[in-house]
Amino acid sequence: MTRHLLKLVWNRKRSNALMILEICVSFLVVFVVATMGLFLLDNYRVPLGFEWKDVWNVRMGVGRNEANAGDAAAQQATLARLFQEVRSLEPVEAAAGSFVVPFDQGGWEGSYRVKGRNVDTGVDRATVGFDKVMGLRLVAGRWFEEPDATQSWEPVVIDQDLARAVYGTADPVGKALFDPRPDERPFRVVGVVSDFRKGGELLPNDNFLFRFSSLDHPEGQAFRNLLIRVRPGTPPAFEEALVKRMQGVAPDWSFEVRPLPQVRATAFRFFLTPLIVAGTVAFFLLLMVGLGLIGVLWQNLLQRTREIGLRRAAGASRASVHRQVLLEQLVLTSLGVLIGTLLVIQVPILHLIGVLSSQVFTAGLLVAMAAMYLLSVLCALYPSSLAARVQPAEALRYE
Amino acid sequence: MIHLQQVSKLYRTDRVETTALDNINLEIGKGEFISVMGPSGCGKSTLLNLMGLLDAPSSGSVALDGKAIDRYGDRALSRVRNERIGFIFQQFHLVPDLSVVDNVEIPLLYRRMSNKERRKAALAALDRVGLGSRTHHFPTQLSGGQQQRVAIARAIVGRPNILLADEPTGNLDSQMGDEIMGILEDLNQKEGTTIVMVTHDPRMADKTHRVVRLFDGRQVQ
Repeated sequence: MTRHLLKLVWNRKRSNALMILEICVSFLVVFVVATMGLFLLDNYRVPLGFEWKDVWNVRMGVGRNEANAGDAAAQQATLARLFQEVRSLEPVEAAAGSFVVPFDQGGWEGSYRVKGRNVDTGVDRATVGFDKVMGLRLVAGRWFEEPDATQSWEPVVIDQDLARAVYGTADPVGKALFDPRPDERPFRVVGVVSDFRKGGELLPNDNFLFRFSSLDHPEGQAFRNLLIRVRPGTPPAFEEALVKRMQGVAPDWSFEVRPLPQVRATAFRFFLTPLIVAGTVAFFLLLMVGLGLIGVLWQNLLQRTREIGLRRAAGASRASVHRQVLLEQLVLTSLGVLIGTLLVIQVPILHLIGVLSSQVFTAGLLVAMAAMYLLSVLCALYPSSLAARVQPAEALRYE
Repeated sequence: MIHLQQVSKLYRTDRVETTALDNINLEIGKGEFISVMGPSGCGKSTLLNLMGLLDAPSSGSVALDGKAIDRYGDRALSRVRNERIGFIFQQFHLVPDLSVVDNVEIPLLYRRMSNKERRKAALAALDRVGLGSRTHHFPTQLSGGQQQRVAIARAIVGRPNILLADEPTGNLDSQMGDEIMGILEDLNQKEGTTIVMVTHDPRMADKTHRVVRLFDGRQVQ
């Protein structure tokens, strides 16, 4: 029967072409949406590398007087006083400075050379205590200490991804990192943390590098984010008290407090909104395609009423007719899916999207296939049951 | 072999009730070749549909080899049609998208047999009707007579012992009609196939063993 159906579908390829095209396009849309979703889900499953609950970020704007004067030392002194003030507050467990904020869309990307090849990595400058505030898990070495600022080399803490990329399985602690640049102190690894995913759960795990920012020995531009770990259950009202106290230390500075859960929620919305929009569009597309398929199948079966009558006369039971219509639809779906798959596998072959893992790609493909087969079967159920109910004597008379 | 007892068939619509067959009693023996004649609308095709288990009588009973089929379900009726009855239609009812040999294979698709066996039986049936050289043609590439031969091959491929032919020569010229009639006679004489043929053509009816005449749904002879 399968061979018979394949011949039938193949010989009707012209009349079936539109249906196959419709299935193929729907397959591609479902594949894109499913792959997007699975990509985010796959990222979500990987450990984040830090703890964001009960962490608040205070974004600081330098006061006009200090900014105009361009006095880095004055700014640094203000920062030190702010630190001292914040740490003295009862609900604050730990505080640290940082250039970039976890989950925030802004970032700092660096490209460094290692033995002639480029290594890209996310970068941050962080102060002593950042590891405590963010709950980082040190897997080797240590976090920064204030005496590191006076070394002839620049201390860095790297995450495990970067350690693997540069050193493979060797222990990186105490080793130089990257080929030295003429205008910078050479980097030396003092510690390794577990994978640090600054972008949050929905972004892929990338290399990350922490450089040291010292309050006592400022180098370069001062950090602008103060990350504070507050005691669990600290009420939102503390935000006002915190700003008030900071404002007391630096009256002409500005302070904007955003708890990390809030920053995280914004990041989630940023990544999930396109997926939800695409998913909604895909849902309605599938709905339209499904209704269209039912209509086309119904029309096809009406045109084939006499053939159905002939098959019934030749010994096909109602169940056989039902099965044949479903199988024909599955053969058509397989052709649409096959064409779609041939197009989709060009993505890895031509290296069009580098961030997709083969597991996510394969899972996206399987989800799209399953969705199309399910849609086809659901759409074929009603027309096929109508076809099965055709009375053979009436069908053979059908004009 | 085929026994119809007090068979009536009514068609009901919202307003009208039409009697297609009225109290038909008919016994057709094994190996008989009978023709059914009568004016258009007298119930010839309805009678053939009832004998072929394509339709159920409104009253009365139809029996094959002494077994009443009234209580058969769809699956059992389909099996009887598949194994014991072959149909030949005036409009041939060939599937245009299938080649000649694939059309002939259709009844065998509903039996448990391998592709090879099915193909072998279909080719033998086509040889039997003299179309062994046209197996891969499509129906539209054949003449009316050739298409009817394909339909006959399809009807006999499962080796049924009953052939029901609804005006098999109705769409053909006299020469082709004679050829088709020759094949049916040959099947009846050499293989003992029981044939019931509806026809308007007295010349064709004369070649059969017996003529059943219908008028307004009643058997008049």
